[in-house]
Amino acid sequence: MNRYLSRHIAAGLAGLFLLASAASHVAAQTRVSIGVTETIETHNPYGDSVSLLYGIWSEITGPFCTYNYEKGDFEGRLADRWKVQNPTTWLFYLNQNYKFNDGTPVTSDDVVHSMMTRVINDPQSKQKASVAGPIVKAEAVDKYTVKFTTDQPAAPLLGFVCDRLIVTSKAAYDKYGKEAADKEHMMGGGPYRLKDLIPGQRMVIAKRPDHPEAKKNPDAPDEVVYRVMRETEQRVAALLNGEIQIAQFIPPHLRQRVEKSPNLKIVGTDSVEIMFLAMQPKPPFDKKEVRQAVCHAINRDQIISTLLEGFASRLDGPIGPGQYGYDPNLKPKMNYDPEKSKKLLAQAGYPNGVDVQLQTPVGRYTLDKQLTEAMIPMLNAAGFRARLLTPEWPTLWANVQKGTVPFYYMGRGSVQDPSAALHQYFYTGETPRIGYSNPKLDSLLDKEQAEFDPKKRKQYLSQAMSILTEDAPACFLWRHKLLWGLNNRVDYKPLPDAHIFAMDIKTK
Amino acid sequence: MTSYLTQRALGTIPVLLLISLVVFLLIHAAPGDPTLMLLGEETNAAEVAKAKARWGLDRPLPIQYLRFITSAVTGDFGKSFKYAEPVSSVIKTRLPATIELAIVSIIIATLLAIPLGVWAGSKPNSWIDNLGTSFGLFGISMPSFWLGIMLILVLAGILNILPTSGRSTYGVAGPEITGFYLLDSIMQKNSQAAWDALTHIFMPALALGMNMLGILMRVTRSAVLEVMNEEYVVAARAKGLAEKNVVWRHVTSNALIPVITVVGLELGTLLSGSIIVETVFAWPGSGSLLITALNARDYPLVTGLVMTYTVAFVIINLIIDGLYAVVDPRIRY
Amino acid sequence: MQSLTLESVTSQSPGLLTRLRPWLHVKACTGSLIVLSFIAVGILGPAAAPLDPNKQELTAMLKAPQGIGAAHVLGTDNLGRDILSRVIHGARVSLLVAFAVVFVSGLIGVSLGAVSGYFGGKVDFLIQKLVEVVWAFPPLLLGITIMAFLGQGLFNLILALVAQRWIPYCRVVRGQALSLREREFVVAAQCLGASKRRIILRHIIPNLVQTSLVIGTFAMASSIIAEASLSFLGVGVPPEIPTWGTMLADARIYISTAWWLPLFPGLCIFITVLGINLLGDALRDILDPRLTRAGPGR
Repeated sequence: MNRYLSRHIAAGLAGLFLLASAASHVAAQTRVSIGVTETIETHNPYGDSVSLLYGIWSEITGPFCTYNYEKGDFEGRLADRWKVQNPTTWLFYLNQNYKFNDGTPVTSDDVVHSMMTRVINDPQSKQKASVAGPIVKAEAVDKYTVKFTTDQPAAPLLGFVCDRLIVTSKAAYDKYGKEAADKEHMMGGGPYRLKDLIPGQRMVIAKRPDHPEAKKNPDAPDEVVYRVMRETEQRVAALLNGEIQIAQFIPPHLRQRVEKSPNLKIVGTDSVEIMFLAMQPKPPFDKKEVRQAVCHAINRDQIISTLLEGFASRLDGPIGPGQYGYDPNLKPKMNYDPEKSKKLLAQAGYPNGVDVQLQTPVGRYTLDKQLTEAMIPMLNAAGFRARLLTPEWPTLWANVQKGTVPFYYMGRGSVQDPSAALHQYFYTGETPRIGYSNPKLDSLLDKEQAEFDPKKRKQYLSQAMSILTEDAPACFLWRHKLLWGLNNRVDYKPLPDAHIFAMDIKTK
Repeated sequence: MTSYLTQRALGTIPVLLLISLVVFLLIHAAPGDPTLMLLGEETNAAEVAKAKARWGLDRPLPIQYLRFITSAVTGDFGKSFKYAEPVSSVIKTRLPATIELAIVSIIIATLLAIPLGVWAGSKPNSWIDNLGTSFGLFGISMPSFWLGIMLILVLAGILNILPTSGRSTYGVAGPEITGFYLLDSIMQKNSQAAWDALTHIFMPALALGMNMLGILMRVTRSAVLEVMNEEYVVAARAKGLAEKNVVWRHVTSNALIPVITVVGLELGTLLSGSIIVETVFAWPGSGSLLITALNARDYPLVTGLVMTYTVAFVIINLIIDGLYAVVDPRIRY
Repeated sequence: MQSLTLESVTSQSPGLLTRLRPWLHVKACTGSLIVLSFIAVGILGPAAAPLDPNKQELTAMLKAPQGIGAAHVLGTDNLGRDILSRVIHGARVSLLVAFAVVFVSGLIGVSLGAVSGYFGGKVDFLIQKLVEVVWAFPPLLLGITIMAFLGQGLFNLILALVAQRWIPYCRVVRGQALSLREREFVVAAQCLGASKRRIILRHIIPNLVQTSLVIGTFAMASSIIAEASLSFLGVGVPPEIPTWGTMLADARIYISTAWWLPLFPGLCIFITVLGINLLGDALRDILDPRLTRAGPGR
């Protein structure tokens, strides 16, 4: 029985080995598999509002325009160039060489259809607030020119539509109906086409060799498989096994395991997601001194160097280097000073400390629970009596939106341009998330939004952020440095906003 | 007997209605607003209000329940908030994965437990018996998620002989026919795909089935122990039948009766245990779907899933009762 | 369900019992030893733990086990907390939850069962309908759903676990009460009144204690696993309370880099549950070998 068994086990293992190697060396076509943490939920390109899917769908259908992080500015793609006609009107001129999979050109009618029918007016769309934003009307001026009208002057408009507006075919929609058009006749003008989509599992895209962008990037893979792998250990193991060639978001403590392997390497990038502690202006946080005491209590450098192993950059203000409007000389700096915290608390009328409850999600952000657990003793040492609560994400998020969470740890992603985030969290009455109100700040935010001159706009932003840092309705903590695991066969520089563009991947 | 079963079947209807009410109330009693969950970070109050109206969440509770129950009876649980597709089709795409996992777990458990249990029971107090009993004890004491984690650590992480997660490697499997990957690959005579599916399902099925393995082993063993003393076994031995024959022919068939009961009873535990195992192994079944739906406060989907699980459970119990009556001629209702 | 009376126990074929006796002792001994140690550790708790389980040392994160006598016998976790102390405190929580759940569910089950069986009629019908509805939920599902919606907390956790666990007690007691009623009529027809008390004292109560003991023992084991499962899924106790389940959940992203993080809490769950099951087995073999429920139940 033993020999029989062992022979069969050997055969099985051999077969497995062959299978594994066959899968990783596909003969003519290059295929790259990426393990991602986001889930892929639906066939409807407008049905999700997460970073990853904006990126993938944008690549299938354009992108409309894109942000070039190296240049620090927006670039044209499907929309070749644009012009601000007047403060509430923008004109976009389409590239005439972008064609749908069936050969028909992508026209302004498709753009208007996508923006109006699918993003704004479709009840199933989850993208209205983040893609349409201030846009209220889209019209076709001629075959290749689109006009967007906004309800008020919106200087940061490009941040809403670039890398986000997904342009699908009006003709297919009209002919087959929405569901069939999305599921069976998905067409886009981008360099990749949708090959396969299983909600919750994977999404596969295949290169269109005749596309102008594809011709510019011959090393880009012929096929890319996005596999949903939310479990960290499994993502890393899959990378080590060769099941995937790119693994998104490796936590700092697993990086050595990846680096030890001869076929793999770690690449890092500063995220544009800002992590902060929010405080509602209700007792005890109604007093500025108490809020400032919190900021001075947290030893951010120690947390970054120990728990995050150096893979984060401290924020001294709402944004950091590389984000629009960053000012390295922003004052004041809320440095680590627990003695100052105690004095501030005494000033505010709490010489014997005060009870506070910090709430944090678990598993939503890198090491969220661990980082906040580490903050509790720091707060306690600064004169607070702090407790940590870890409610479930939906409960926490719902309560934050309702404005019933006095003190919480949170992140705000997609902050290339801080305008939208600052408005959302700190403008009087915009959302109840914090409930902060400061007329001086409001007027500065109004001014920056309407200001089309970049220099003046940056000045307004700087002043606004200085006020915010000093008044401290939130303590700005850090931006994570996101680590990606790569197989040496691929060359890829991850983007700060976690969009993945297959065009940027080079296979060897 | 059929009248008994039909009576029982009819009796389950009011129970199911009550269950739906309980589930409905539980879900709505919870803090956490589904509209906010699903609209993303950058939404505003106007959008939330519109979504609420569209999903019918602004109506009074009794009306919501009425709408729900009238369509639920026809199998229509409404549209999932998260996936924007009918709940029944969302569940349908994920259910085969769980069913396949459950079936393979049962197969592994029975294939290992029954021979072991029979062997142990037929030689009480021998080293085989001790081994078997210990194994059974280990089986029922082992937390499934810990076993899963250890399996991943050793078999996938250290030894690298099994894949870490998922149901299949991309590009290997053929087109889906039934949704049961093992079956599909066999039907298409694709041995590569069959092997691929097998390697993916092995660890989760083992982790899931370990508890049932332990229980089955113990039940089989004690059933065999009891039967071994019965007159007809003594008679068979007295007739001069070889011990092997005695064991397999007379003992086993009778010992199977409580086994069927146990499998039926444990199916419920298996169904709910799959929720944890699917989470550990990122298995795309209805269990992990439930966790996702709960996290998103996707009311229709959660209700649909819980109803599916309980209805399945009730039906299975009914079948087991029927089977029990068929197999054991001594039982008459 | 087969009737559980002392007669049936003592009239069991002597051959079975004598054959089991030597093995019985080993089982009972090992089981009791494990369970008693578990209880002792749980009660002693803070006194037994060398360090504060919640004290973080960010400069001493993820240290491997250093062996007996060292500062961190079982190593430290991702926040530099001593694992041995956390595991000991975890025993305390598991113990507390297990006992509370078994006690409360036993109380509820026995009372409802007695009421249901004794009064019969509409009361019985309603209670049994409740039993059917609650029992129809697959085991962990109800617990997860309740916890997901009520939120974290020790009290909520106990509530969620009791939700289904009272039912086995209810069924048994109701069965007893029903048979008591029948016999009551028979006996009352034959003798006169005085036998009622004797029947209760002589047969019902001892059986109740026996069966409850067996049910309760296995219920303890399953409660420990259930609490760990719920904590693992994130719907258990809040983070400041170290439990074996939460330790396992925290350890998930450290499986390959710090094997001691998932190993020790999981091992504790395993050994404790094993001991309880051993004890339960021995108890059942001594008290009532006819009970064929070989599993830990819900």
